[in-house]
Amino acid sequence: MAVKTFAAISIGSSETELKIYECSPSRGLKELDCVSTRLNLGLDVFNEQRISAENTEELCRVLLDFREIMQSYRVSTWRVCATSAFRESRNNLILKNYVEGRTGLKIDVLSNSEQRFLDYKAIASVTQEFDQIIQKATAIVDLGGTSMQISLFDKDKLITTQNIRLGTLTTAEKLAPYERNRAHFDAMITELMGHELEGFNKLYQKDRQIKNLIVVGGNLVEVMKPFQKENKRITSVTREQFLAQYHFISDQEADEISRKFDIPVEKTTVMLPALLFCRNLMEYFGVDTVWFPGFSLNDGMAFDYAQKNREIRISHNFDEDIIAAARSISKRYKCNQQHIRCLEAVGLQVFDRLKKQHGLSPRDRLLLQIAIILHNCGKYISLEDVSDCAFNIIMATEIIGLSHLERQIVAYTVKFNSSELPDFEDFETGGEINVENYLRIAKLTAILRLVNALDRTHRQKCPEFTVTLKEKELKIQAQTDADMTLEAGTFREKAPFFDSIFHVTPVFKRKKKL
Amino acid sequence: MSELYGKPEYFTNRECSWLGFNARVLSEAKDKSLPLLERLKFLSITSSNLDEFFMVRVASLKEMVHAKYTGRDIAGMTAQEQLTAIARLAHDLVHQQYNTYNRVLVPALKQSGFVLITQFEDLSADQAAYVDRYFEENVYPVLTPMAVDSSRPFPLIRNKTLNIGALISKKGEKAKNEFATVQVPSVLPRVIRLPEGQDGTVYGILLEQVIERNIDKLFLNYDVVCAHPYRIMRNADLSIDEDEAEDLLKEIQKQLKKRQWGEVIRLEIEEKVEPKLLKILKKELGVKEDDIYSIQGPIDLTFLMKLYGMKGFEAYRDKPYTPQPVPGMNDTEDIFTQIRRGDILLHHPYMTFDPVIRFVREASEDPDVLAIKQTLYRVSGHSPIIAALAQAAENGKQVSVLVELKARFDEENNIIWAQKLEQAGCHVIYGLHGLKTHSKITLVVRREEDGIRRYVHLGTGNYNDSTAKLYTDCGILTCSEPIGEDATAVFNMLSGYSEPKRWNRLAIAPIWLRDRFTRLIARERKFALEGKPAHIIAKMNSLCDKQIIEALYEASSAGVKIDLIVRGICCLKTGIPKVSENITVRSIVGTFLEHARIFYFENGGDPEYYMASADWMPRNLDKRVEILFPVEDPRLCSEVKHILDIQLADNRKAHILQSDGSYEKVDRRGKTALNCHEYFMEEAIRRAAPEETKIMETRVFVPMEKPEE
Repeated sequence: MAVKTFAAISIGSSETELKIYECSPSRGLKELDCVSTRLNLGLDVFNEQRISAENTEELCRVLLDFREIMQSYRVSTWRVCATSAFRESRNNLILKNYVEGRTGLKIDVLSNSEQRFLDYKAIASVTQEFDQIIQKATAIVDLGGTSMQISLFDKDKLITTQNIRLGTLTTAEKLAPYERNRAHFDAMITELMGHELEGFNKLYQKDRQIKNLIVVGGNLVEVMKPFQKENKRITSVTREQFLAQYHFISDQEADEISRKFDIPVEKTTVMLPALLFCRNLMEYFGVDTVWFPGFSLNDGMAFDYAQKNREIRISHNFDEDIIAAARSISKRYKCNQQHIRCLEAVGLQVFDRLKKQHGLSPRDRLLLQIAIILHNCGKYISLEDVSDCAFNIIMATEIIGLSHLERQIVAYTVKFNSSELPDFEDFETGGEINVENYLRIAKLTAILRLVNALDRTHRQKCPEFTVTLKEKELKIQAQTDADMTLEAGTFREKAPFFDSIFHVTPVFKRKKKL
Repeated sequence: MSELYGKPEYFTNRECSWLGFNARVLSEAKDKSLPLLERLKFLSITSSNLDEFFMVRVASLKEMVHAKYTGRDIAGMTAQEQLTAIARLAHDLVHQQYNTYNRVLVPALKQSGFVLITQFEDLSADQAAYVDRYFEENVYPVLTPMAVDSSRPFPLIRNKTLNIGALISKKGEKAKNEFATVQVPSVLPRVIRLPEGQDGTVYGILLEQVIERNIDKLFLNYDVVCAHPYRIMRNADLSIDEDEAEDLLKEIQKQLKKRQWGEVIRLEIEEKVEPKLLKILKKELGVKEDDIYSIQGPIDLTFLMKLYGMKGFEAYRDKPYTPQPVPGMNDTEDIFTQIRRGDILLHHPYMTFDPVIRFVREASEDPDVLAIKQTLYRVSGHSPIIAALAQAAENGKQVSVLVELKARFDEENNIIWAQKLEQAGCHVIYGLHGLKTHSKITLVVRREEDGIRRYVHLGTGNYNDSTAKLYTDCGILTCSEPIGEDATAVFNMLSGYSEPKRWNRLAIAPIWLRDRFTRLIARERKFALEGKPAHIIAKMNSLCDKQIIEALYEASSAGVKIDLIVRGICCLKTGIPKVSENITVRSIVGTFLEHARIFYFENGGDPEYYMASADWMPRNLDKRVEILFPVEDPRLCSEVKHILDIQLADNRKAHILQSDGSYEKVDRRGKTALNCHEYFMEEAIRRAAPEETKIMETRVFVPMEKPEE
């Protein structure tokens, strides 16, 4: 049958939700069912640093129930993702193992940047509306209970994402003892946010004038619904409309709001601080239009699934977003962009020619590209300790769209570009680097080292390389009149390592221009 | 608004209104145009209705008095005031019941060839011998006579049982009377057929008369001074009505725990009872003067239902009606194909209930069906729906059933088949905490070529194939996507999950329904104020919600025309100047029990039609899960309008509410008689008739075309 069903389960901080989708090339993605339940795992973690046994059991019960619902739609494919509460729970490995064992559902614990990327994909799934929004400079802000995440677009690419430890719930809780009245509370939040946003602005926003603010989370969709335009899936309000609604709502008590907008009372608790956060962001950035897409992580997961399995057609290239984000980081650390472009070109050629030898996936190609883009960032800190500095920078920087593991692979690849690759047995890591991932790192490192040799002097002596594979020999030919002695020498140094990994001998040739 | 339209004098007390309804049922028993046995049936219904009324409502009010609850009802009456009013009306009603029974029905029965011997003294010698033998063989072995004296205390008289009380004296000690009582066994038939007379006349006698005749055999060493049947009603095992305030319920529960068995709230006793015997009963049972009903005939007239069912006497019953096939539906195609062609309206009992059973049965067998979900409230004993659901689970379908255990008087019955379903592999939810699930909804999820499709049945009546032959109800079968999505959300909520972000079409009680009705009424008011056409037609069983009535008053005073078809309780008053002058209320009582809930809103010329499982009662809107669903297909809308129009045009079975609170039949002068039940029956037969007969009816010959090669 042409129609496939997909189930997405998200284990969030306050809600666990199952959505069932149907997807077909002709009709796209369609939500069939949405089942959600309040399960406050976030509170457990906030108070006790771990998810309680009681809630763990409840989670298992809900997941088993969800399995049955999935069964009732004969769902063929599914994905279960857990977010911050699960990720930050100190017992998360044991917890994950236990819940997986009980329910038979494999759980992906998402890194923050992976989660944001999926959220972003959900928004981008409304392709036409989304494309229209990002014509102008746009920021996406995800208002969470314990932190908020701001992501920025440059032209139509997502370039940076930052987590600010200022959540709607935690801030409201923290400020409650000092609160004199609503106005005073507002003033305190404005002050707090001003400080945080100033820091963000200096580092990341530069001279971009943000016109659109896309708001995720905070339960604000329902109260903005009155402004939804016909035939539009994403609700948008102008600055003036937002302020009018803001004043209308902030004058009312929770139960009044609940009644007027037909939302459960418990949802209003995050709504008021979220609204305030939103107003501050809007005013700080000087935004014209605020967008409330109201999608959930599950929508992003479904879109991600459909896109990867080619169930639906889309024009936006999400890999480009990840690459753009990486480039923006490399610029921040003053990496030589021409050098990078040069290496990317040849590096990806090498990767493509060696497909049979390395057996890696297109995703690994992307990781290689990112490793190349970031391979020099350590120099920003220290010229001497490049490899460790680069490793630490990458591990401390969020690269939107990459999982924690993928970020590790990139960081290690960059690290071992200029330091020894230890044997697997000597590899000290938290456990995520298993044999398979070790091999990925080794292969990517070998390619990075080899191509890095080709622009040893960072002078782009050769604008173009051609890479050919013939039997056991990988020939890289430079077409240039420049003196390539230094490069050829370095190349020869790196060749044995490359050979030891792929059992292919790299050969460097220079061909003079006529 | 409350100040303007909420005055107590604008409302009728619900108990008084209910007694008025029972009087309307009684008027059917008095209706000479009805066949005799039908009239007996109606009389029997008034009797069982009244029993339930005492068990639930009167018991509740008595408890309020005990709990010193001083709250006033919608009409401003305290519990005691209500009890006083009830006593007056109920005594009058009982009086009328027995008038009808004695003066009209018993003689008519005799004329029809059935002689019910109400006093054993009237038996012929042969009959007496037969009766005595019957007593020896069948009755005597199951009797437990109990006498009261210094060593034996007054026994526990069981609730709702018929008993014979007697005064007895030891042989030779005439002066000293003792009390004795014996329960008329409920395991034996109440009416015993006697040998037929030579002319074919059928004779019957009541069981208590058989016992009375032989009562001296029970007290061998005594003389029986007198013996009279009596019956009591207690409030011990009362199911407290969900309509009452929460705090009150708690108070009452506390009170109940304190008592071992319930207080007697009604004593029925033969009119010609010996005063001494009555005095003993009154004292021992602690019953008040107001609560004693002296009965001029057999106590507990529900036995008349048995007479209704007796063999023969066909001429004295309505011709049995067979529910007709649904127009447009056929037996050859599967039901899903037929639903896909367009929404289907079901109007029971005129149309058969089969499509609903078929819907579940075919779903249980169809290989493409993935899941079936249903709410069940009151289901018949051997329900084909239960069987189909169990079969579906065995066939590997996902079956979820919400079984409402709190349905009054049905608890035990429900648990049994709920367990049966569970054993078959169904997922059974045993109701929701603090809420009764009264909605009637079935969802079938089917995997089709172009994806998942949902089929939904929504109804106004229970999934009960027996009552579907007696209750008028409506339902729709649809595969509308928005309704299907809502149906899924309903079941998610019933399974304990969060509410959906939005509802497409359905409005669900207890959260959204009240608000939806209020807004729909307010919208008509707005249209009326703008000078646009504004009209509400609402049909339901009971109307006693204060907020809704106030909204109706407000709408009426703004010029909205409001026609209400309310079978039972109606706390709204018509004809109050500047308040309810634009409101009419009619109650239809007839062959079938009116049960459908239909709502029409003119909506400024773009009418909207809805049906629901809910009445406009606080319990439906606030304490139950109920569903209001729209009828959207224009073809169905006109059918629904037709149903309402015919009900509004009825001049045989309709009683119109007068401004003084009484109901009067429609003045028929100059109008063709229209009995809506008969009309719908005939119409259903006509519409279900095969094409051929229809053609003949038009008296136009239709030339046939050349047959295809």
